[in-house]
Amino acid sequence: MSEQEHETPMTEQESLALITSMIQKAKSHFHESGTGAILWGAVIGFCGIFSFVQYYWNLKVPFDIWILVLVAIIPQVWLNIRDKKRKVVKSHSESATDTIWMVYAISIFALLFYINVVSNLPVRLNSNHVQVFQKDITTGMISPFQPRVPSPSSLLILLYAVPTLATGIGMKFKPMVIGAIICYGFFIASCFTSNTWDVLMNGLAAIFNWLIPGAILRNRYLKRKALDV
Amino acid sequence: MFKDLDPILHSQLRLAVVSLLISVKEAEFTFLREKTNATAGNLSVQITKLKDAGYVAVTKQFKDNYPQTICRITPIGIDAFDMYVKDLQQYLKNPLG
Repeated sequence: MSEQEHETPMTEQESLALITSMIQKAKSHFHESGTGAILWGAVIGFCGIFSFVQYYWNLKVPFDIWILVLVAIIPQVWLNIRDKKRKVVKSHSESATDTIWMVYAISIFALLFYINVVSNLPVRLNSNHVQVFQKDITTGMISPFQPRVPSPSSLLILLYAVPTLATGIGMKFKPMVIGAIICYGFFIASCFTSNTWDVLMNGLAAIFNWLIPGAILRNRYLKRKALDV
Repeated sequence: MFKDLDPILHSQLRLAVVSLLISVKEAEFTFLREKTNATAGNLSVQITKLKDAGYVAVTKQFKDNYPQTICRITPIGIDAFDMYVKDLQQYLKNPLG
């Protein structure tokens, strides 16, 4: 578009064609690379499967594998900074998706806090020299009460599905919608299974929710990038 | 000729800029230049006209020690664009007025 061209009188058809072409150009600029989804899908998927193997075969490992989730925050922060530097335009849907995932991150930390605090309730009470007892109303037997979070993995799986479904619907990206629906299925199933199977479903939920859709996004992104060069 | 069309928008480059900005939340000057294939000088002049009309908000800042110009469409700009498209459609329906 040269300096002279912009003042050239336009017909109504030319105006509409220009509007359509510019809107199309703006839309075609956005391609999610899928890196973040692959990172979290791989990390949580691995941790879930590792924990299942650990519980199922009663293996003792001298560390908590879920520490990897905290380690994964470092590359995620690096990815965010890199993307922010490269970005020359921000769409409305990108902005909405970022907000959804920010709220999700806050919620997941709040949920982990809840799981840890509630699970540690007997320890906290003991430190205050307090013990809670429960009474069996049929036998009259009194025993110490151990409050527990019922199936923490179920709560995590349920929370995984929320931003994924919202993003999938918002981006009109079927693999994420399907992943989120599978995740809801895992949530229901995990309500009826033991913690050993719950952690496996936690890992599988991450794979269906993020790793597979992330890999599909990455593949599309690379193909698009190759075409643009 | 389109006598009733908004003269601010009825210019090829300004219409292109507003059409790009209506599709996004905000965009850097470099993005607008790349998509419109305009020269930096011409684009700068047209953005200033849009800014003076209140259609576009411009924020100048520094990013990694380089100046960065971010543009976004204002509510006035959205209304003007909406009206422009409606007028165009009207014109297309009744070309003779």
